[in-house]
Amino acid sequence: MEKLKKFSPEKITSDLLPQKFGRRGVIWTIVLILICGIGAFAYIRQLKYGLVVTNMGDYVSWGIYISNFVFFVAISLVGSLITAIFRLADVPWRTPLTRISEMIAVSAITFASLIIIVDMGRPERLLNLFLHGRIQSPIMWDVVVISTYFCISLLLLYITLLPDIRIMINAKDKLGKPFAKFYRWLGGYWKGTEGQEKIRNRSITTLCIVIIPVAFCIHTVTSWLFATTYRPGWDSTNFGAYFVSGAFLVGAGGVVVAMYVFRWAYKLEHYITERHFDKMGKILVMLALLYLYFNVNEYLVPAFKMKKPEEEHLTMLFSGEYAPLFWFAIFIGMIIPILIVIFPKGRKPNAMFIAGVMVVIGAWFKRYLIVTPTLLHPFLPKYDAPAKFNHYFPSWEEWAIAMGSLAGVLLIITILARLFPVISIYKTITDHESELPS
Amino acid sequence: MKANYHHKLIIAIVFITCFFTGRSYAQDSAASTTVLGIRYFLPENKVPYIEVSTKKKVGRVFEPVKGLPVSVYITDTSADNLLGSTKTSSNGTGRIALPPSFKAAWDSLGEFTFVASMPANGKEEAQTAEITVKKAILVIDTVSEDGVRSVTAQLKEKVGQEWVAVKDIEMKLGIKRALGNLSVGEDETYTADTTGLAIAEFKHDSMPGDAKGNIFLVARVDDNDTYGNLVVEKTVPWGKAHQAESHFWHRSLWSTGGRAPVWLLTIALGIIIGVWGTIFYLIRQMFRIRKLGHEYEKDIAV
Repeated sequence: MEKLKKFSPEKITSDLLPQKFGRRGVIWTIVLILICGIGAFAYIRQLKYGLVVTNMGDYVSWGIYISNFVFFVAISLVGSLITAIFRLADVPWRTPLTRISEMIAVSAITFASLIIIVDMGRPERLLNLFLHGRIQSPIMWDVVVISTYFCISLLLLYITLLPDIRIMINAKDKLGKPFAKFYRWLGGYWKGTEGQEKIRNRSITTLCIVIIPVAFCIHTVTSWLFATTYRPGWDSTNFGAYFVSGAFLVGAGGVVVAMYVFRWAYKLEHYITERHFDKMGKILVMLALLYLYFNVNEYLVPAFKMKKPEEEHLTMLFSGEYAPLFWFAIFIGMIIPILIVIFPKGRKPNAMFIAGVMVVIGAWFKRYLIVTPTLLHPFLPKYDAPAKFNHYFPSWEEWAIAMGSLAGVLLIITILARLFPVISIYKTITDHESELPS
Repeated sequence: MKANYHHKLIIAIVFITCFFTGRSYAQDSAASTTVLGIRYFLPENKVPYIEVSTKKKVGRVFEPVKGLPVSVYITDTSADNLLGSTKTSSNGTGRIALPPSFKAAWDSLGEFTFVASMPANGKEEAQTAEITVKKAILVIDTVSEDGVRSVTAQLKEKVGQEWVAVKDIEMKLGIKRALGNLSVGEDETYTADTTGLAIAEFKHDSMPGDAKGNIFLVARVDDNDTYGNLVVEKTVPWGKAHQAESHFWHRSLWSTGGRAPVWLLTIALGIIIGVWGTIFYLIRQMFRIRKLGHEYEKDIAV
């Protein structure tokens, strides 16, 4: 950071402009496209033959698709955490992290919307949700808040990009004419006048204020999809707060991973410094402890009472079929990252990257555990059901579509990082100038 | 001496392990072929049907096998005696009702043998299963004495031209409910006495019935080796009349979309209009920024 003070605006611009993919970048993108292609092929099969290609049934009617949906909604919440909360709290070190978190938010919420359509089985009926939707249904609330959050996230990314678009238009020699043409179409009208700057700043502040309640709504409503149904494991008044805290944790973990990867791939060590990892590490520990606290509440209280239907569900999680996955999610997703990051040495980039990856992987399995085991244990007795309905393991089509959607999120982030600076050039320069002695 | 003892112990452990491991493998592998089952049902003393089932042992549990063709015959497997053919469903079962063409045979005989036959295919060997049943009917009735209501049932087999009550038969006497039968009395099953009569005191005075207070009493004999499965129902006005009150046209959380509660509509629409109003306002601001940009360009050009 000290070294950054010696950098000229030209040097900062040159460092932060979008860069062409190297060999590794090309391979990475091709691999993602391939995984997406396999997912698309599996989805075409699902469209052709119907949801029968999945292993979902009368009981586990929400499988890996909805687990993925909850995961995407959770990770998208990071846009509001880093951009909005940090901006309103005037956190001075936020600049290198905001664009990354906005990109993650936009890509994750895009695929959250798409995966719901995949789960519907009959995508042509999506329009019916809007034409004949019942406002009484939490599913309808989810549709409304997801589309709202998508628009707000996109607006936030776009408005904060405007000054950088001007900079990129000016750097057409370095970026190439087709790119310059695209940037002119996107935001060529931005001249950086006082009037424009005033409206832009006010718009960003408005968006930051609006996005926080909407972000809380999106994940609270998603939790209500579960909590408003009467089932073991979901019958909780705590679910909204439990989901929001988990979402902040996975979002922060996702940002840490992205920070590390972009720092390494684009050589941004002077911009994303150890100080940023240290600060994010402290936030990660706090969020992991908070989520752990909610987990203790969610499992300890019903386990203490051990009502019969809850007992079957909890036994399956603690020592039954899902125990390895459950303890993996608890230890890998929360406890071990806390133990790593709570010490200053654990807040160094490499250790933070490992902790971030653990949090994200643990969070994905946690969502799977929230959805599936509960569906296997309805309160009403299973009546005249085939034996296979007592178990659920996703079919290859489900795995392919789920992995394709995860690759899709990464692909959107990759494309956005190729088109736009992952750190705001304009904000970095203005921050830098304000720090210089007058 | 101690070493010798250890050797013996190790040999014993190895022997026991091998013995039980071998047994478990033998059990699993021996039962891995499909098992064909056959059961006889007589509902309401009317047309009987035969239920066939195909299942296979996977690990330590039986899983249904679907899609297997099974033919059912009466007496033997000659073509004239074919009652019908079926393919087992996803839960591994199939049903064949007694066709009308066999009515004469049914009326004249008192004991029947049914044979299920599954042909061999690429994966499965041919299988047959048979069941012999005596023709019987189940009769349900009610008795009221001194204000005490009871349910009675009798299983009667055909002897010559007469129907004779069978004694010592175990049967269930229940009340039909949504997800199964509730026992009429305190016991799960009732056994017919020396006169062939099974009696259960009715102990559910305030049992909700239909709009007229009717409930359905059920007597059933399950998987009897001689008589198969028989079930018979009787409607009695012993329940509490239940008038379902319809709230279908009221505004509620469970009504149609057009009848959402006003408070919910107000809150939901208030939030939606507030947030989307802000979004449209911000989009308008973008157009203002655009306009300011074009004006700036014009000023520069001038």
